[in-house]
Amino acid sequence: MSRPESTGHASIFYNEKEAKKYDSSSRMIGVQKEITERAIELLRLPAVSEKPSFILDVGCGSGLSGKVLEEHGHIWVGCDISRDMLNVANERMENKRMDVQRRHADSSKDHQMETHSDDDDDDNASSDEDEEDESSNMRNSASTGDLLHHDMGTGLPFRPATFDACISISALQWLCYSNSKSQIPKKRLTRFFSSLYQVLRRGGRAVLQFYPETAEQAVLISECAAKVGFAGGVVVDYPNSAKAKKHYLVLTFDKAYKAPQGLSDSSLMGKSHQVRVDKGNGLRSKDAKRSVRKKNRGKTKDWILQKKQTQRNKGRDVRPDTSYTGRKRRDKF
Amino acid sequence: MRLLTHNTLRNNSAEANGKGYPLKISAVEVRVDDASEVGTDSEREIAFVKGILDMLDWKILVKAAAELGLNTLPPTLNENLVNDDNFLRALYHVLMNVHLVKGMLTCPDTGREFPVTDGTVDFTMEEDECENVRY
Repeated sequence: MSRPESTGHASIFYNEKEAKKYDSSSRMIGVQKEITERAIELLRLPAVSEKPSFILDVGCGSGLSGKVLEEHGHIWVGCDISRDMLNVANERMENKRMDVQRRHADSSKDHQMETHSDDDDDDNASSDEDEEDESSNMRNSASTGDLLHHDMGTGLPFRPATFDACISISALQWLCYSNSKSQIPKKRLTRFFSSLYQVLRRGGRAVLQFYPETAEQAVLISECAAKVGFAGGVVVDYPNSAKAKKHYLVLTFDKAYKAPQGLSDSSLMGKSHQVRVDKGNGLRSKDAKRSVRKKNRGKTKDWILQKKQTQRNKGRDVRPDTSYTGRKRRDKF
Repeated sequence: MRLLTHNTLRNNSAEANGKGYPLKISAVEVRVDDASEVGTDSEREIAFVKGILDMLDWKILVKAAAELGLNTLPPTLNENLVNDDNFLRALYHVLMNVHLVKGMLTCPDTGREFPVTDGTVDFTMEEDECENVRY
């Protein structure tokens, strides 16, 4: 499978069609949400009740990660190189604002609005168990994000010591590919990290999740960050799973910082399976992870009905729901 | 683009030589959201504003607000204001609910223009405009 980065400029890959596809895929939304949650965890921000943070989201795309930041109660500024992705983000924020206004107008009734975007449905389904009061309160406010059309390789255009923290989800690796003769990856990476060093407040932290194509790329990225003065390290979650493996570059000003242990397969398998991490685990752990993650999803009737609703919201033709929906079929095997 | 965001922006091209702010605003379309319509949580708002108060450049904020048609901000901050919860809430509203939907930002040092459309600022620049770095 070819990587998006090798097909050309990020704004060309994430064109209008791709942007809409990206933003409506429930799997993509789920994955990006998880990654963002993990990044926020690694940021170790002060409690929102003490002080909501002012966060920079580099490569914010269609605003999936920004949405998670909002749900935690933070205020953010996002930048992305693809105008089409930003347009999708804008639309989402507009819809949310109008939704809140409508709810406010109908505040006398207990009005559950089904919004146009799919992600709310998916969020309701998969995060019901984790939903705190915080999150539902945040849903009743408009978006706290602002958008910038911007190429991170040109350096971050902010005054020094502006942001409390920075996150970046699945974007940094794009800097490793040059799309024109004048673009030198190492130069752009250095420029980006050097500007990041400037715009973060002292004591602030950055967590940048990225997909390195090779070990050399991961090293190049880490070295450029270290060269400008950052301390930190790379946290690798699920290192044995090709699919689940995630790299988080954690950057701080604190030289004494020690990167935490990455999440591993054994941590998922419950107390009785603490130790073994060998080749065989790759596949088994994925199933274990899936069942832990999706919490007995299976193909229950509820799941079927919800999936059908999601497809309807996308505008597809779906058979009506009847008493036969999800009925027990004769065992074929 | 919110007033909060504008307060942080600077033209980081090589030509601006490390400065490049405050960006002058010429507004074509401004939108002010009613605080009660976009949802409020006064504790959170006050906590946030207190946290960023030392980061904000007050002079830039006052000038930018005026450029968007808002002339209600005091010219300087003082002890009393900073401890007044009502003032802080009003400040949150000014920072977060006043949006430049369409317009232009201009660098005071180089004249370089950054268009704003659909509330999004276009800060894209070519490689040759950028600051040089040793790598």
